[in-house]
Amino acid sequence: MWSAAREIADGDLVIVWLTRDVVQPLVITRGKELNSKYGVYRHSDLIGVPYGSKIGSRNGKGFIHVLRPTPELWTLALPHRTQILYLADIAFVVSWLNIKPGSRVIEAGTGSGSFSHSVARTIGPSGHLWSYEFHEARANKAREEFVRHGMDNVVTLTHRNVCKDGFTVEGTVDAVFLDLPAPWDAVEHAKKALRKDRTTRICCFSPCMEQVLRTVSALNEAGFTDITMYETLIRPHQVDAVPPLSPISDVSAKLRQAEQRREEKRLRQIAISRAARHAAGKRKRDGDADEEAEGAGKKAKTDDEGEPRSEELAGEPAASAGAETPAAKDEVPTSGQSTPAQGSGETDLGTAEPLAKITLSKVFPDVRGHTSYLTFACLLPKIPAAEAAPEVEAEAAEDSAAAASSS
Amino acid sequence: MREDTIQVGSSLLIKVPNGDVRPMKVEQNGTINLGKFGAFYASELVGQPYGLTYEIVDKRLKVVPPRSIQEVEETDATNELINDGQFVQPLTIEEIETLKKSGLHASEIIKKQIEQHANYQLKTEYSKEKYKKRKEAKYSKSFTVVEPTLFNVCDYWFKKDQNRLRDIRPDALSQMLNLANIRPGGRYIAVDDASGVVVAGILERLGGSGRLITICDIDSPPAYPVTVQMNFRKEVVAPVMSSLNWATADEDYTPSMLMPPAEAPGQIKDSQKSRLNKRKAVANSLMQTREELFAGEFDGLLIASEYEPFSIIEKLTPYVAGSANIVVHSPFVQIVTDLQNKLRDLPQYLGPAVSEVWTRQYQVLPGRTHPTMNTSGSGGFILHAIRVYDDPKASSVVAHRQKKKARLEGTSPAPADSGDVTPSNPDSPMVRDTPETPALDSSAVSNADTSGAEASGDVELGSL
Repeated sequence: MWSAAREIADGDLVIVWLTRDVVQPLVITRGKELNSKYGVYRHSDLIGVPYGSKIGSRNGKGFIHVLRPTPELWTLALPHRTQILYLADIAFVVSWLNIKPGSRVIEAGTGSGSFSHSVARTIGPSGHLWSYEFHEARANKAREEFVRHGMDNVVTLTHRNVCKDGFTVEGTVDAVFLDLPAPWDAVEHAKKALRKDRTTRICCFSPCMEQVLRTVSALNEAGFTDITMYETLIRPHQVDAVPPLSPISDVSAKLRQAEQRREEKRLRQIAISRAARHAAGKRKRDGDADEEAEGAGKKAKTDDEGEPRSEELAGEPAASAGAETPAAKDEVPTSGQSTPAQGSGETDLGTAEPLAKITLSKVFPDVRGHTSYLTFACLLPKIPAAEAAPEVEAEAAEDSAAAASSS
Repeated sequence: MREDTIQVGSSLLIKVPNGDVRPMKVEQNGTINLGKFGAFYASELVGQPYGLTYEIVDKRLKVVPPRSIQEVEETDATNELINDGQFVQPLTIEEIETLKKSGLHASEIIKKQIEQHANYQLKTEYSKEKYKKRKEAKYSKSFTVVEPTLFNVCDYWFKKDQNRLRDIRPDALSQMLNLANIRPGGRYIAVDDASGVVVAGILERLGGSGRLITICDIDSPPAYPVTVQMNFRKEVVAPVMSSLNWATADEDYTPSMLMPPAEAPGQIKDSQKSRLNKRKAVANSLMQTREELFAGEFDGLLIASEYEPFSIIEKLTPYVAGSANIVVHSPFVQIVTDLQNKLRDLPQYLGPAVSEVWTRQYQVLPGRTHPTMNTSGSGGFILHAIRVYDDPKASSVVAHRQKKKARLEGTSPAPADSGDVTPSNPDSPMVRDTPETPALDSSAVSNADTSGAEASGDVELGSL
């Protein structure tokens, strides 16, 4: 398939990893340049560099990693011509279908070739993949791609509607994978293509339950057994290192401190206003006393937010704790930084050294929730004629006739 | 890798009517005993293809043709008039036992039971079918030989004792093998404390060509019991797989076997000589495996270990080639989470990502399609990273942008720019400044953004 050499050579396909979400295929062509928002790179500078190297941009800003292609990276980087299959489904289908080195496999349709690359890798040079695509332009694109990737000795691509015209081989393959809108129309054809001397397997990949039900009855009528269905997904986890969560005793202490400060301030205000009243003289005493007391109270409230900052500047970090708690609370689980509330809490308790962070994980908020249902079934080997029931015998004879005509 | 048909010496997985799967070995002139499901001559199976169902008749086997799923007719029957604890079956256990002993076929016994059953006709068609199935599982003398595919063997072991497999369910194993890019001809290192399920997978996917070095925690060759059911031919496995342990895999280890013998050569007796030669051969092969490991350039590293994974990765990374895949499985999310947190600070690991496998199986009987009622809770967690060669001189675009922004705004530099980067910060999705596509499959498994993660100087360049 792809280059197995240690170093990158002119003409190699490499996978350029810009970020986790920006992974691109690149054919190394001397004289060309790769321009991206992560810098400028000359292809010629990549020649002779080992696969897996980090490469700094020519202008010193940004870098990329140049990787050896694998079917899994190709799945992330390939040009989409259709909806494609991803790792979870591909891996599961390959092992259920017992695809391994030397296996002979049918795939319809080819689509963007995500599954084809993975199967070609697993079956190796001793296996073979017959791939069918009914859309002519897509078939041609895929054929070019298979040649460019050095897979043309392992993959035979045919432009054909398999539901109407069937497959090009009979009694040959170990496994059939159908990613078609109406897989039930291809089930009888698939049965013909499967070899009859050992257990063979089929998988139909359909996103809708209605399709599954039609496929199941088609498989059942065609004599497939062990019919079952799976759904498989990958749940990606997001990992964050955060300070240990604060115990509520910290919160309680902060709230008490804040309350104490407010009380002290209130007493100060009262003292100030009392002094002011004394200074104002007896004329005002009767009429304005109430009003002024009220005003002082209001002022104390609004000051509450502004004041801690001035105290903080004055070198009393503990004072900020109460006021900042509500904001800090939101940050704790998400941000990796130590929060102000925590920092001040520690200072307050006299434990200056930072606490060891803990690592947390949770599933990303937006994940793939469904791809397709994977309907599987087996076709058992032909039962030796002497032991078989008459009905099965007739069918077996038919099969062997078909096999004979194909060979 | 294995014979296409059942042979003398094959290790079989035999599925009995109640759904249990039992391991059995085909011995020359042996009898396989399935308890109440009967016994038969093992030789009956020799030369047979895998996957067929047999009925046992007088210790001999008769192939049962595959049965198709029957459409169940919808009726108006409900369980409205069926009450628990009612006396419905006049046939006693003793009577049934007598029938069984008389050699009556299972289907005849079931027919009799149905005839005698007081409420059978009240049952819905679904319920009737369930009843028949339950009785068949009890009386029928038949079994199926499960084909030893990687999926089936893993599934059997997982259902038998998932702890021994360290929760490696078939879906997890499949993903590990794909993520590690196992292909015929590839060269891999594996640390498998999961009864050999990973080793079995790698050997199967190598198909007899390539190399696998496993590292274990015992001083004798590891058993890897899962490989037994795979029925690999010895001559296919032997040239492909070698094993070291954590002592012999140390570069500064000197095997005591290589110490010069105490006696002078003249005094050695002939009997001792052959033993010494054997010892020498073992020592030589050990030294060869060590040299091969230390020469490095392996295509992948797979870990399913009970030991601290970072210490394993640290030790084995020098032997793994650039762009090679590192795949770690653990039954516990905390283990891989901590590992991811360590690896993302190190420039020789690209895009470490943690994911969880999720799978559910459906019953697909006509008119009765639904997920199975009982299912496996977890198939474990997988960490995947790519081994890369660092270039400490390369700097990120984000760092430059932040520096520039900081200058323009006249504020202090963003955390990513300062020397001591908080591990999760620069690459946390919350602060990532590139437009983020929704997390899709493994592509977006984690949040490490390479342009943000800063190199902190590394020995890697030396190996370039």
